[in-house]
Amino acid sequence: MENEKSTLSPIGKIFDWLGKAFLKTTPGKLFALFVKTILSFFSANRNFRTDFRNVVLQTFFTGVEIFPILFVVASLFGTVVIVETMSIMSKVGFANVVGNVLVVTVVRELGPIFTAFLIAGRSGSALATMIGNMQINSEIDALSSMGISPIRYLVMPSLLGGVIAVFIMSICFCVSSLGMGYLISKIFVMVAGQTMNVQLTWNYLYTSLVDALTFTDFVMIVLKPLVFGIIIVINACYQGLRVERDFRNLPKATSRSVIFSFLYIVIADAMLSVFFIFQYLGEISKII
Amino acid sequence: MAEALRIENLNFSIYENVRTPAAKGGVISKVFGNTFRSSSLTHRQILKDINMSLHPGETVCIGGPSGQGKSLLLRLIAGLEKPDSGSLFYFGEYIPREKHSALQIALRQVGLVLQNGALISNLTVRDNVALPLRYHRRGTEKEIAEKVGMALDLMRVSSVASNFPHTLSAGMLKRVAIARSWVMDPKLLLMDEPTAGLDNYNRRNLLPLIDNMRSLFQTTIVIVTHDLRMADELDSNLIFLHDKTLTEPHSFDYWMQSKEVFAVQLFRDLQKRDGLY
Repeated sequence: MENEKSTLSPIGKIFDWLGKAFLKTTPGKLFALFVKTILSFFSANRNFRTDFRNVVLQTFFTGVEIFPILFVVASLFGTVVIVETMSIMSKVGFANVVGNVLVVTVVRELGPIFTAFLIAGRSGSALATMIGNMQINSEIDALSSMGISPIRYLVMPSLLGGVIAVFIMSICFCVSSLGMGYLISKIFVMVAGQTMNVQLTWNYLYTSLVDALTFTDFVMIVLKPLVFGIIIVINACYQGLRVERDFRNLPKATSRSVIFSFLYIVIADAMLSVFFIFQYLGEISKII
Repeated sequence: MAEALRIENLNFSIYENVRTPAAKGGVISKVFGNTFRSSSLTHRQILKDINMSLHPGETVCIGGPSGQGKSLLLRLIAGLEKPDSGSLFYFGEYIPREKHSALQIALRQVGLVLQNGALISNLTVRDNVALPLRYHRRGTEKEIAEKVGMALDLMRVSSVASNFPHTLSAGMLKRVAIARSWVMDPKLLLMDEPTAGLDNYNRRNLLPLIDNMRSLFQTTIVIVTHDLRMADELDSNLIFLHDKTLTEPHSFDYWMQSKEVFAVQLFRDLQKRDGLY
């Protein structure tokens, strides 16, 4: 170890110190857990048949069971956004940007975030409680003493299943909030008649949506659920594994798994929005 | 032949987070009471200069009053805790402190049966027993099923093979946990209180199974127990964890006659009972 240290240049020493300091912080530990999970996928004990089964179970657990709630939330959210946008935008004379507003709010920003929040609240907390209980019940110790890596056995399938579920559910959210939102808005308009002053046709909505969607949106539809899924699962597993046979830590771990997921998701979302800023800058330079 | 397990000068201490009320009762502590308290780490030595060696096929019972760190010693041997200092040799192989982890030690065919059984709660009994075999890919699914069936029959828990752990009694959980360790053919088996919570009937059934494991498979067994009579029934040596360190191994009868204070205290009830019956 001593020799190793002496070979480092002064700049190397700074990076060495920074890296070690980073790994001591919570984000550093989360990152380390993520890297370990990815590496465990390639470990010698890989067994794709059981893995596949676990991943499918986890996907079902994370995604399918939450679908009814997500469907209702998405539909009503879509309705609100469509009705509000259509009525306000036509009043201020921006009726031609309705598609852009819908894409930005539903597809780009709030769709993935809402989905991630719902899944963090439901599956993230459940995962943290399950792993925390396993820790209290010495099941994690039992796994290790049988030579079974808890990361390989518990975290890896949850991560894959979680990411797949968040991805599918994000798409479900966007589709149902725009589709069902349109239908419910249409019913509103039919019931309210002329009082709402909204001219809503599917053809109009569809064309403005398709016009507003850019390539970056499609990249983000894949990238955001991926990042959010990783955040939810890794944070939940980390909080669960931290319980350390102490019952008092279990409620804390559960609430932290939700609250910190929210925090990290919003931070990640803000960081991903930087891509859009670059895109806007590009567009502005084109105009100039 | 190399010793199955050798422990040299093992030390272990913990750093406890002792919370003390804030020294000065300022405004903050008046308003918030003891919410803001300073905490300090205190160092407490639990195990000191532990030395032990076991021959292959030997069984040894570790006794002593509760709260002395017997289970901790077992966790240290299984790699669930890292020692402060000292050397551990498994079947002659020295494991340095950096490599001292449960996963590494499990690769050396060391099995551990925890006190509460610690079965995976979302798997059935059969899947629990099959879990290590499947993970380490010991044979085809048919071979695994056969082996699991054999283990469940041996521990006489095959009637509950499709049940989930929460439906089982403490004694059954323990027998399933032993079956789960047994399927991996451990060369060194560590058991934490295998007879605690068992009725007399099941206890009497369990002891021959442990005995069989020793004679048929040459398994080295370390048992941490309060049930001192087990050492007599298994005809094994008994070591006491006394005053943070291990005593010399001696037979049950030796300790029975011993004039050591702790031995007299621990054996008093047993001697009385012997007098009665």
